[in-house]
Amino acid sequence: MSPVALIARDELRLMVRNRVAVIAFALLILLTLVAVASSWSHRQRIADLRARHQQAAADAFDAQPDRHPHRVVHYGSFIFRPLGPLAAFDPGVDAFTGNSMFLEGHRQNTANFGDVRQSSLLVRFGQLSPAFVLQVVAPLLLVFLGFAAVARERERGTLRVLMMQGVSRGQLVAGKLAALGVVAFAAATPALIGLTAIAAQPGAAPLPMLVLGIGYLAYLALWCVVILTVSALVPRSRDALLALIALWAVTTILVPRLAPDIAGQMHTLRNRLQTDVAIARDLRRMGDSHDPDDPHFAAFKAATLKRYGAARVEDLPVNYKGLLALEGERLTAALFDRYAAESFAVQARQNAVVAGASAISPAIALRSLSMAAAGTDLSGHRRFLEQAERYRYALVQRLNRMQAEGVAYADDTATDAGADRRKRVDAANWRAMPDFAFRPAGPGTLARAALPGLAVVLLWLTAAGALLAFATYRLGARR
Amino acid sequence: MSLYVHELRLLLRQRLSRFAILLLAILTIAALAAGMAAVARQRASIAAIPAAQAEDIWAVADYVVRTRDSGSAAYYSFHPTWDPPAPLAFAALGMRDVSPTILRVRALGLEAQIYDGDAFNPELALPGRFDFAFVLVFLAPLFVIALFHDLVSSEREAGRARTLMALPRGGQALWRRRTAIRFALLWLSLAFPFAIAAAVEGVGAAAIVAVLALIAAYLLFWIGAAAAVGRLRWGSVANAATLAGAWLLLVLIVPTLANVAIDRAVPVREGAEIALAQREAVNRAWDIPREATMRRFYAAHPEWAGSAPLGTAFNYKWYLAFHQNGDAEVAPAVAVYRAGLMRREAAARALGWALPSVGVQAALTRLARTDLKAQLEYQDRIRAFHAALRRFYYGYLFTDRPFDRSDFDRAPRYERFAQASDG
Repeated sequence: MSPVALIARDELRLMVRNRVAVIAFALLILLTLVAVASSWSHRQRIADLRARHQQAAADAFDAQPDRHPHRVVHYGSFIFRPLGPLAAFDPGVDAFTGNSMFLEGHRQNTANFGDVRQSSLLVRFGQLSPAFVLQVVAPLLLVFLGFAAVARERERGTLRVLMMQGVSRGQLVAGKLAALGVVAFAAATPALIGLTAIAAQPGAAPLPMLVLGIGYLAYLALWCVVILTVSALVPRSRDALLALIALWAVTTILVPRLAPDIAGQMHTLRNRLQTDVAIARDLRRMGDSHDPDDPHFAAFKAATLKRYGAARVEDLPVNYKGLLALEGERLTAALFDRYAAESFAVQARQNAVVAGASAISPAIALRSLSMAAAGTDLSGHRRFLEQAERYRYALVQRLNRMQAEGVAYADDTATDAGADRRKRVDAANWRAMPDFAFRPAGPGTLARAALPGLAVVLLWLTAAGALLAFATYRLGARR
Repeated sequence: MSLYVHELRLLLRQRLSRFAILLLAILTIAALAAGMAAVARQRASIAAIPAAQAEDIWAVADYVVRTRDSGSAAYYSFHPTWDPPAPLAFAALGMRDVSPTILRVRALGLEAQIYDGDAFNPELALPGRFDFAFVLVFLAPLFVIALFHDLVSSEREAGRARTLMALPRGGQALWRRRTAIRFALLWLSLAFPFAIAAAVEGVGAAAIVAVLALIAAYLLFWIGAAAAVGRLRWGSVANAATLAGAWLLLVLIVPTLANVAIDRAVPVREGAEIALAQREAVNRAWDIPREATMRRFYAAHPEWAGSAPLGTAFNYKWYLAFHQNGDAEVAPAVAVYRAGLMRREAAARALGWALPSVGVQAALTRLARTDLKAQLEYQDRIRAFHAALRRFYYGYLFTDRPFDRSDFDRAPRYERFAQASDG
């Protein structure tokens, strides 16, 4: 047996003899299993609930009686963001974003009923998921198991003995690293098995999971290397433990909270009231359909009459009110898009600030990698919002066109007792409307989005490896 | 007294303790500054309401005065409500980053408006806020562990323990002195910056004293834990590892497990179902006889029953009536939903009695009025304001009074309802 393997085996044997270590390890495995099971069933329940709501909303839409198309514009459409299978591994921001949205004409509503506003204060302590266990808990377990790996040998004087017996510094550290690596891999296994089980779900793609697997293993490897480095550099094992706990607390607890606060302070998001008022202001400038003397709509009217060769709107072959609705919606939708893009640009700048903090906290890089690969990050939510807006616009314009072509102008402006009946179009039209179907990001897109985070984690691993090489080189030197 | 001074000098001569106390003070100050900045931003956005609102409402007025139609005024006028942060909010931001500080409502169906949120970046909200509550609940125990894990064991490992025990005024009195000094330094590095920040923010003396006591109690809990572990007479290393493990369990793992358990034990009828039901109730009005709608509305609001009949054209009396009917229809579901949320909050609060980390967080967010209960109370104030808005517009609409430009100024203002916040 090579010296490296011998040292690794000895180190593992020592860990197995340490009852506290075994209990801690068993607890971690148990916690992971609970996390996998609860996260899995939570996702399942949420996904089912949203699918059921979505179906109920679609059925209600189709079941509408004969109605005026503009009624349906305001009846609108309720849509629910489906939850991808990988959300069982890392739910990401799902609980923090609203998951249902009401789509109607000339208004852009917020996504509502996020879990965070429906839960007790406990939700802000963190959410139990396999990702949480691997990101936060597993590194601390490795710290407990590995802080003394080298420091102990030095404290007890066995380091010199080992070296005199012909074990090189490199072999010693490699052996200890191998032992801790085995533990790390064993600790990650239940979560990784959970991940593979998710892979068997319909709609789950292997590529993002591969990135997830590599990312998490690289992250745990990074911690193994860091632990060995500190253990080799710090003279006493107690100091090594305290230094590692401090390092863990700063990189996985403190900085991930501090960075968003700084980001929010640097780039402020315009609030909804200001956005709504600004949109209304821009709209008044572009053209006010309520104002009979408005230049934009006067020109629109003239152009329409000219196109159809008519003298009055009453003579048009189509319903002018429908045309007005089409034009009005076109104007508001363009503004919605512009302001939404602005808001997302600010949020992207905020996220860039947080990503910058991954230079001092690899946990941030891992978290962004994980959410990106799982499709549960901000861009996943943005994807939903943008598709929702596209669907809203298409639906509303279809209905406006229906008003223009299916409802006579004379009926639409009439106020007699029977007018209401004549304004309505056939209920069969509602069933012909396409339902909202969210298209999740493809596996290639998800994996690509996770690459920057993965690159940062690998960079960290390389840097830590170099530091460990240095610490190994200095090991046992007289001071 | 001089013994305490000597102990203090001894403690501060150690690099670890000097560093730890300084770091805790710096983190506390940073968290207080971050919290004050966040609260200042919220106050600034509230202060910016009147200008934006004035611009918006005058544009509506320009349009409405052409017809002097009170129904149009009710339909197009959005009225702002706001939830000013309580004086202590800077210390525990709680839910304020994910729930709206400002919400505009109009006199239509409230259930379709009241659950709306404001714009926020979910990735920033996800890890939780860096506020004083975080420093106290999450970080302070780690500093307790750093200073207390080897209180006795280090002396034993250095071979001095027996000598110290044998000294006059040594033994238990010595450990008590050392504990008192460490506790006092930790408490001061949290409490002193907090007290200054609280005074600047104008927090009442009772609340300040309550928080100072809370800090002391929470530190003492962890000191007690460290002492309990110390009694096992393990080495310093084992003590530190055990205490850090306990911290992990009490601060991170048990709360997340409890969250899963509470969500399971107290299912909340999804708010989305209320929204769906309300929409059906409102839109059904277009397909049933208008008289049925009005009968139901007048039965619930006899004060307007004497209003002139509708006629065949579109009439805002009917429109606003079916919106109010829609709200009434889902009122029982809303009550159930609200009760479910309160039960979840109560369950978490009950857990706080057993779990100090959760208890301190719950107590701080309650004192700071930033918890779920405070959000629901804000919704109650919005409901009261909205009812006043309805009464105001109905006063014109159902008596067929014209609505003039000057009437826009007579609309209820939220200020009166915001006052009710302290209770």
